[in-house]
Amino acid sequence: MRIIFFFVIVLALLAAPPAGQAANDAIDFLNDDFYTDGQDDGERPRDLIEPFNRVMFSFNDTLYDYLFQPVTSVYQAAVPADLRGCAANFFLNLEAPIRFVNTLLQGRFADAGTVLLRFVVNTTFGVWGLGDPAASEFSIMPVDASMGETLGAWGIGDGFYLYVPFYGPSTLRDFSGQLVDGLVMAPYYMNIDDPWISLEIYSYKETNKMSFHLGEYEDLRVLTFDPYVSIRDAYFQYRKSSRNRSPQSPSPEQE
Amino acid sequence: MPARVFFALLLLVLLHLAPAILAEAVGPTEALRPTIDRILEVLRDEQLKGDANLRARREKIMEFVKKRFEFEEMSKRVLGREWRALNEDERRNFVELFSKLLEYAYIGKLEGYSGENIDFTSERIKGDRAEVGSVIDHHGSAIPVSYIMINMDSGWMVYDIVIEGVSLVRNYMEQFKPILRKDKYAGLLKQLEDKVRELEGQNVGIKSDASLLSDKKDS
Repeated sequence: MRIIFFFVIVLALLAAPPAGQAANDAIDFLNDDFYTDGQDDGERPRDLIEPFNRVMFSFNDTLYDYLFQPVTSVYQAAVPADLRGCAANFFLNLEAPIRFVNTLLQGRFADAGTVLLRFVVNTTFGVWGLGDPAASEFSIMPVDASMGETLGAWGIGDGFYLYVPFYGPSTLRDFSGQLVDGLVMAPYYMNIDDPWISLEIYSYKETNKMSFHLGEYEDLRVLTFDPYVSIRDAYFQYRKSSRNRSPQSPSPEQE
Repeated sequence: MPARVFFALLLLVLLHLAPAILAEAVGPTEALRPTIDRILEVLRDEQLKGDANLRARREKIMEFVKKRFEFEEMSKRVLGREWRALNEDERRNFVELFSKLLEYAYIGKLEGYSGENIDFTSERIKGDRAEVGSVIDHHGSAIPVSYIMINMDSGWMVYDIVIEGVSLVRNYMEQFKPILRKDKYAGLLKQLEDKVRELEGQNVGIKSDASLLSDKKDS
């Protein structure tokens, strides 16, 4: 495992892809192109396997009603918001090494520094990451970086839109990246070899995350005409905007 | 006599221009701030809280929203090419229905955050367009909401709301596209009417986390 880690680091330093490449194509809401039919369809991967995705969508939809929603609402009622916030911070901090490696692999060196700094500050002053003093005291905001993005920065295309059972919206590339991030790297840092325990930790993490968003899915069902299409669009919009939200990325003002 | 006519005309022209000149002076953030403040005041009003007061609360909020939100500009964008094919009455009807939908989608969302603080964080102006960034502080996590605005006779008007990076107008546009392709405008109109009737029939607020909590506190 350690060898893989070193390999990845060496690869990062050798490869050094164009810095901040992902940050250059921010959505410009002020340009009406954004609202013109199919203007950026070229950037969005097609939904090639829509019938399959729709089946998976209804699977997760049912799962939400009978499993996720009941479990999460009990959890939400039992655990106060403060504690749930601490748990969320803890996981975010624990995964910092994943983000660190990914920022390096993408050549976002300033972001890598931010991730490292946040990790050090939150692990020490934040009591093992339970608090987020880096953001609250020092205004160092979180930076996101995933293997899916890394693959994208290296020129690997999305493939197609993929709706994953138990997981949700993704693309072939992003979900593959997620598997690498989640299954290979996270257990390594937690020193856990038993996949079942990893799965339990993952389930807890996701339940905790969902406890802050309970009810949003019900709203979505009521407010949309086709929740499947709405989620697909929201996924691509959110993905694009969150990749351009890191404080170091060139802001759209500098045109 | 001709002089008097001339002055009358001049006055008329000046009066006509005045709103535009005045509007020019107020920047997008400053135009939006009072509207958001009013909405928050209504949301914080103890007498207007809870599902029982939903109608009264929404009516009050919509009164302020309508002054600063340009639903026609939204409708234009959400329908795209289809908008040009509609006549005046059809357009008016669509704008009315779509504003109802936005009322539930946007105000419902704000109600979910039950009057928590909103800070304006950024402003970007490009010609007659502007993007005003704001952040809602919700249980310690910051939810970014951007308002996309256009400079019109009536000042800076909102024509899109971007919540956590997701444009509401674009999201509905994407949903309308396949409906328009399959069932044409008539089919879309029917679905929109059904949806608005369904939302109005429910007569309950949106169910997000925060509103659930505040309801518990009320009872």
